[in-house]
Amino acid sequence: MTTRITVEHLARVEGHGGITVELDGGRAAAVRFDIFEGARLLEGLVRGRCAEDISQILSRICAICSVSHSLTSLKATELAFEVQVSPQTDLLRDLLYRGETIQSHALHLFCLAAPDYLGYPSAIALAADHPDAVRLGLRLKKLGNSMQEAIGGRAVHPVNAVLGGFGRLPSEDQLIALRTGLLQAMGDCQTTIDLLASLPAADFCRSETVFAAMRSPGDYGYYLGDEVVVLSNGTRETIQAAGYRSLTGERAVPHSHAKHSMFNGKPFMVGALARVMSNPEGLTPRAAEAMRKLGLTLPSGNPMDNNKAQAVELVHDVEYSLGIVERLLREGLAQERPAAVRPRAGAGTAITEAPRGLLIHSYTYDDEGKIAAADVITPTALNAASIENHLRLAVDQSQDQDVPALRKKLEMIARAYDPCISCSVHVIQKLHAT
Amino acid sequence: MSKPSVGIFGLTGCAGDQLVILNCEDQLLDIANALNIRDFLMASSDNGAGCDLDLALVEGAVLTKRDEAALKRIRERSKLLMALGTCAVWGGVAAMDRDADRPKLLGDIYGGLGAGYDSLPARALREVVQVDLNITGCPIEKEQFLSAVANLLNGDPPLLPSYPVCAECKMRENNCLLIEKSGLCCGPLTVAGCDARCPGLGVPCVGCRGPADDANVASAMAMFQGKSVPREKIAAKLRTFAPMPGDRS
Repeated sequence: MTTRITVEHLARVEGHGGITVELDGGRAAAVRFDIFEGARLLEGLVRGRCAEDISQILSRICAICSVSHSLTSLKATELAFEVQVSPQTDLLRDLLYRGETIQSHALHLFCLAAPDYLGYPSAIALAADHPDAVRLGLRLKKLGNSMQEAIGGRAVHPVNAVLGGFGRLPSEDQLIALRTGLLQAMGDCQTTIDLLASLPAADFCRSETVFAAMRSPGDYGYYLGDEVVVLSNGTRETIQAAGYRSLTGERAVPHSHAKHSMFNGKPFMVGALARVMSNPEGLTPRAAEAMRKLGLTLPSGNPMDNNKAQAVELVHDVEYSLGIVERLLREGLAQERPAAVRPRAGAGTAITEAPRGLLIHSYTYDDEGKIAAADVITPTALNAASIENHLRLAVDQSQDQDVPALRKKLEMIARAYDPCISCSVHVIQKLHAT
Repeated sequence: MSKPSVGIFGLTGCAGDQLVILNCEDQLLDIANALNIRDFLMASSDNGAGCDLDLALVEGAVLTKRDEAALKRIRERSKLLMALGTCAVWGGVAAMDRDADRPKLLGDIYGGLGAGYDSLPARALREVVQVDLNITGCPIEKEQFLSAVANLLNGDPPLLPSYPVCAECKMRENNCLLIEKSGLCCGPLTVAGCDARCPGLGVPCVGCRGPADDANVASAMAMFQGKSVPREKIAAKLRTFAPMPGDRS
């Protein structure tokens, strides 16, 4: 007999998606992570547009990841035009990325994921019984936003990051305010880790997961880098940014009438857990300590550990950002103008780590310096096959076939990936239309 | 007085306007206390299952039949409907070229499967249902949103500017980018409310808030053309987020 479990409209995620699982004799006969988001066709609509317009248009793919989309777009265009930005620009972009990650992880951990663990429908309901916990999360979230405002000029869709550099550099007063916020957040992060360590365990499926993350050339970061590391069964493989299509090669999957991103025939996971897996030695001592407190051991085969990995990154990014801000205050900012940009024919593929994982923007410019082709591959699109894989495993490995209990597990697994469905619409729509 | 029941909804877009609501970290718990929030799918798994609403806040544009049906249903449920953000108010970036060959674009981006998609040219909410209030911005400005909610709670209509970004830019005593730089700044035609955010950073306005009712269009166009920028470039730039004045009847 076939039982169908459906989550018609997945709540507490960005965008519109659902889950459908068909159970047959206690096994998952079919699993689908569905997308209902409309196709905005932005990659097509930017064709013929000038380089200066692209990052502002393509940042609108997603609000929560708008810094990632903007800066990955700028990086791709600068690669195409062979523009070299200053080390100070790279440092400020790095800090801007960390602001975005702090906001995004705090939003996800406290407002989207935590209510599940404690049995509440929302952070607002949670605040009625645990106001201090919710206020803690909102403080950290606000800090991330204040970093995005100071450097990016706006918390959502940054306007101050332009080709070659920044419109205006943050003032000393703004940096001092950030330092104050980051110092307070150091304590808030410890409280966060203690709080998360006290939550009930979430362990619904195990797998030998393949992970993919950008190789961070210096310290643990999100912006600088041009290679992807793929971790599979103890092996490490490296892929150059320009060769990203070997990572996104699509394959038909009969069970879901879908094509998915696979690496050597296997689904792979991107995001915080993939980053921690690929570069644990890059974490600050406090972040490494947080990992121990949360009981996050590597390699991890539990997708719910992505929540723990986000908490570890929260600790890392607050501590690391404080170091950057203190350095900027000590050394002062050079009042430099954006590097000169001369549009011309060229191609550039940029990779970065958005809060939810690997993000790729690949552009071709024509002789007039206008966009001839744009390709954007988002973390949630890369994760789609892995999400379905873990949903399937959760059903197959579950002892209990109680439908409401299973439905909650499935929702929690999908949510642990922190899916950003506006972002993913391009590739996943391709999947379910067969 | 009982708390007004409110629903917060997203159609097709980036969820940036709902994110701005969640970014009101200092006011969020007070807002949740002053209102009876019955629907907020992005933040809650306990939603109102079709209950009547005093106020619906809707972001995003109408891009699918599903969006259209959802919006009509929200309209039926709600006494007041507020469009939130440039996509809801004007169509936003997805509407930058509504005459584009959509089947071709779908085919280019989604391959042979594109033809089967539920995909319509982007429309603003008011092209589909009656809209009572429009709060524009890409995304909306937090202060404007909060003051609009406070106004409505007191039974007053929100006060929204009809003058262009240039007015706020002058109040901030910024140097005029149209005078000092060679490129385009959309400030003369774009509605204020952002405190001239971009020109304040030395970055030209891209028009993300849509057109101002009180703009002097003829004068602005003459000025842009005087900067020897090709006409099609001016038009493309101005239509990125919203139609140019006179584009839609």
